[in-house]
Amino acid sequence: MSRSITLGQYLPGNSYVHNLNPRLKILALLLLLVLLFSLKSFTGLITLLAMAMILLFMARIPFRYFLKGLRPILYIVLFALVIYIFFTKGGVVLLRIGSFTIESEGVTEGFFVITRLVTLIVFSLIVTLTTTPLSLTYGMSYFLKPLNKIGLPTDEVAMIMAIALRFIPTLMEESQRLMRAQVSRGADFETGSIFRRAKSLVPLIVPLFVSAFRRADDLALAMEARGYRLGEIRTRLHEDIICTRDWLALLFVAVLIAISFYFKL
Amino acid sequence: MSIRTEKLTHIYMPGTPFAAKALHDVTFELQKGQVALLIGPSGSGKSTLIQHLNGLLKPTSGQVYFDDQSIEGSKDRLLKLRRKIGLVFQLPEEQFFSETVYDEVAFAPRNLGLAEEKIRDSVYDALNLVGLVAEEIKDRHPFNLSSGQKRLVAIAAVLSLKPEVLILDEPTAGLDPAGRRNLFNLLAGFNQKEGMTIIIATHHFDEAVALANHVLVLKQGKLLLNGSRDEVFARREDLEKLGLALPSVTELMQDLAAEGLPVRTDLYTIKEAREEINKMKEKQQ
Repeated sequence: MSRSITLGQYLPGNSYVHNLNPRLKILALLLLLVLLFSLKSFTGLITLLAMAMILLFMARIPFRYFLKGLRPILYIVLFALVIYIFFTKGGVVLLRIGSFTIESEGVTEGFFVITRLVTLIVFSLIVTLTTTPLSLTYGMSYFLKPLNKIGLPTDEVAMIMAIALRFIPTLMEESQRLMRAQVSRGADFETGSIFRRAKSLVPLIVPLFVSAFRRADDLALAMEARGYRLGEIRTRLHEDIICTRDWLALLFVAVLIAISFYFKL
Repeated sequence: MSIRTEKLTHIYMPGTPFAAKALHDVTFELQKGQVALLIGPSGSGKSTLIQHLNGLLKPTSGQVYFDDQSIEGSKDRLLKLRRKIGLVFQLPEEQFFSETVYDEVAFAPRNLGLAEEKIRDSVYDALNLVGLVAEEIKDRHPFNLSSGQKRLVAIAAVLSLKPEVLILDEPTAGLDPAGRRNLFNLLAGFNQKEGMTIIIATHHFDEAVALANHVLVLKQGKLLLNGSRDEVFARREDLEKLGLALPSVTELMQDLAAEGLPVRTDLYTIKEAREEINKMKEKQQ
């Protein structure tokens, strides 16, 4: 169970990439994604992928850990490749099996698309691996601020998301603890038909709900006790300031975009 | 019958940057009928260790033996093992999910696939064993009991398997003094009447120490002291170096002895201490 959360899970660190402003990281990611989809040549794509790898190195993320995070996506990538190879026609016929043909354009197109896909994932992973979910949420809420004008309480939505994220590991831990407790009372979560297995989850889900409600109650009380009120303006302990290194990073992304447009990469 | 571990080592999430060594070469042995106290500061690996003893966690390296047989093995064997080694988790009443006390206690025997009659017997036995009147309490909602009663029902839910070994993780957390005293009286009874082997993991051991005869001290995953109660608590300096205190009564007696008063120091309850001090006063008059 604990393995399934490694995909994109924040890795604490103190590198240049870790310390970039979360708002900037989100903006840069969006810009890079737009750039990624406007690129038309392999040269451009490979250069971008190489830069992603340099970024990964700068963030000091262990390469093996990173690959582990990529593994679940491998199947999607392979699936996309197979679809493109078989169904895109054009160019020289490379292989003929009965009425099926594999043609050169399908192969190039397939590899182009998966390189783009992998680059996209690498960039997104770099952001989630180096930013706490909490600061990501606050970062995103900044970009949602304009929606305040049409009546969406963006600060409250950000708070809800932050709390939800905050409690995912807690609830995971709790469910693991409960699972062990019930297993030591002879419960079996693994064998039997689907129906039986669903039924066997009751001793897990009921206590989990009970404790989640209790936690929610406690948290609401604690927040009120510390003066949290709806609609009030909140200040933050870690103010989110955009400094020189952030501007430099943004400038770099802008230069990349300019180059790619100028040379029609 | 005995429980034995040999060079037990456990690493959480091995092979990731989050890897953490929770147990390091832990070796000890407990005989049938012993009451062992497992003490150590928070995060010392107490909970991790006891979860190995009934096969909930698998050792990264090392072995756990029950009756001289390694507990590793098929699911069936683990199931049999868990029947013999009951584990009461921290705040066990948080596991409640049934609508009646009866169903809650019957969960474990039902999982064994016993006949309904036998289940009924073991539920009644277990509830009576913890001092509750089965007829009165069996149809009540487990969430509506007092905190002391909840704890007792939770323990009964483990006792319904009639285990030979009972392991409890912080069994008195959140109980009032009366509830704590009641619980320790019960545990002492299980040990004396049923010959049950009991392991209590705790960091408030002032009360539990009265019924223990063996003490294991863990710190940062290492078993640093392992011996009889009197042996371990005679080593006051070692314990203080580990950031652990003596039981208050023992500390008092040792202080008195250090002042030069002729008193025994291997005492653990206020009653024993009072008798010893009175005896000394009589002798001096």
